[in-house]
Amino acid sequence: MKPSTSNIIEPILFFLALLILWEILVEVIKVPAFILPPPRDLWLAFIGKLPILGHHALITFIEAFGGFALSLLLGIGFAIAVVYSRHLNNTVYPLIVILYAMPKSAFAPLMVIWVGYGLFSKIAIAFLVAFFPVVVNTVVGLKEVEPELLELARINRGSQFDVFKKIRLPNSLPYMFAGIKVAIVLSVTGAIVAEFVAANEGLGYLVLQANYSLDTAFALVILLTLAVLSLGLFWLVEIVQRKLAPWSAAVRQVEGSF
Amino acid sequence: MPPLIVVDNVSRVFTSGARIVNALERISFEIQTGEFISIVGPSGCGKSTLLKIISGLLPASSGKVAVNGDLVINPLENVGMVFQAPVLLKWRSVLGNILLPVEFAKLDLPSHVEKARALIKLVGLEGFEEMYPHELSGGMQQRTSLCRALVTDPQLLLMDEPFGALDAMTRDELDLELLRLWEEKKKTVIFVTHSIQEAVFLSDHVFVMSARPGRLLEMLSMDLPRPRTLEMMSSPKFGEYTLKIRGLLSAGGGATEVIAGSTA
Ligand SMILES: Nc1ncnc2c1ncn2[C@@H]1O[C@H](COP(=O)(O)OP(=O)(O)OP(=O)(O)O)[C@@H](O)[C@H]1O
Ligand SMILES: [Mg+2]
Repeated sequence: MKPSTSNIIEPILFFLALLILWEILVEVIKVPAFILPPPRDLWLAFIGKLPILGHHALITFIEAFGGFALSLLLGIGFAIAVVYSRHLNNTVYPLIVILYAMPKSAFAPLMVIWVGYGLFSKIAIAFLVAFFPVVVNTVVGLKEVEPELLELARINRGSQFDVFKKIRLPNSLPYMFAGIKVAIVLSVTGAIVAEFVAANEGLGYLVLQANYSLDTAFALVILLTLAVLSLGLFWLVEIVQRKLAPWSAAVRQVEGSF
Repeated sequence: MPPLIVVDNVSRVFTSGARIVNALERISFEIQTGEFISIVGPSGCGKSTLLKIISGLLPASSGKVAVNGDLVINPLENVGMVFQAPVLLKWRSVLGNILLPVEFAKLDLPSHVEKARALIKLVGLEGFEEMYPHELSGGMQQRTSLCRALVTDPQLLLMDEPFGALDAMTRDELDLELLRLWEEKKKTVIFVTHSIQEAVFLSDHVFVMSARPGRLLEMLSMDLPRPRTLEMMSSPKFGEYTLKIRGLLSAGGGATEVIAGSTA
């Protein structure tokens, strides 16, 4: 577990070796560039199209992050409501579970009809995809409290609000963050899928354009950009978690789907 | 003096689906203020259930419980509870965990911080106030849980196999500390344990229960001098008591489930 220098150097060396191997293989086997361009071409495409890439990445970021933020707000609020209201738990929660089992990205064409062609249909899909892991994990975290702690609260006449604030909410944080980490990555996927369906901006749109013109190098650059975007967001959540819930290093999570 | 606790003909039935479990059957006893009582019995005979009924957390199916002459209907107020596991809040320090009941009960915080610190000192946790549960040993966690039960200065202490998960040496140590606390603070203690020796060592009276449906087989008085010392465990009287209890338990059916004291 100790962060030793070999933990940093090893992956760097590995990736360097991978790049070199890629370059050599492409040269030796003479793969056509539209199937697999050498890393060199990727670099050139990246440098040459940086402004375009930046613009579309920003669009996708806004869509994904917007959907994600919405899923946090509504997801956590909804989870709390479900845990505290038997009625919601009996009515709306099963509906949520059914929706959860559907492929959310399949809503993308419908969403265009419902919300329109612009940014909002993408935010809506990103939200839809990110919402469920947040809700499901938070509900579990709020409910799975050791019964002895609740007995302690009853004996000492603790209020419902105190039980929520001092026990349930902090107890749910590790679960919630597990869900949030799934959600943030899924929200990027959701935005991209929505862009595939109908868009004139964003990395999903851009990767389709690159495909049409057989610009494989640029398409790969876009995919890498997406990976960086997802990872960056994931790490952001990780940092917030360390600040907010340092005790929650690793907790099993209820997996998400898209 | 009138007894502190009167348990009168208490039975408890659990129904889960079509299954009916008679957990407790017609239990009656009285406990005087300041007594140290242990309850032993085979696993599943209703010891935890009995503690919950006395604390008012769980209603009896029939019969009644009175504490201080008042019928127990709601959860008791002046009671401290120690569970088999420490159940500490991972996100709170030792001190923060101990103060949880104080916050729930909305008692004056500063004066209880003083009390908490005094308790921490008493159980030998000094210097660990700001540590978090994952930084503590099992014994230290259970000490914290003991302090948490005592911080509101309850008159009655209910302990459900509190040291069962600890190794024999730590358990002996905590048993001695508990007795010191009990003698100093004049509490009434009901202590559930699987260990016959621990029961004999700690108690004024040992209540022996039968396998399910849990009935009270016998109430035995431990006529051993106080303060108790670990050396007493090798006295003939001590051996006599443990033998007697073991005999009762095996006659009551379920002796195999009883772990003979690890304190030997
Ligand atoms: N909430 C409940 N619902 C249904 N049955 C229960 C419930 N609580 C306890 N029981 C049953 O009542 C019986 C007594 O349980 P209890 O936990 O009091 O036993 P115990 O003597 O404390 O056992 P152990 O020594 O293993 O802790 C068991 O058969 C148990 O299955
Ligand atoms: Mg029990």
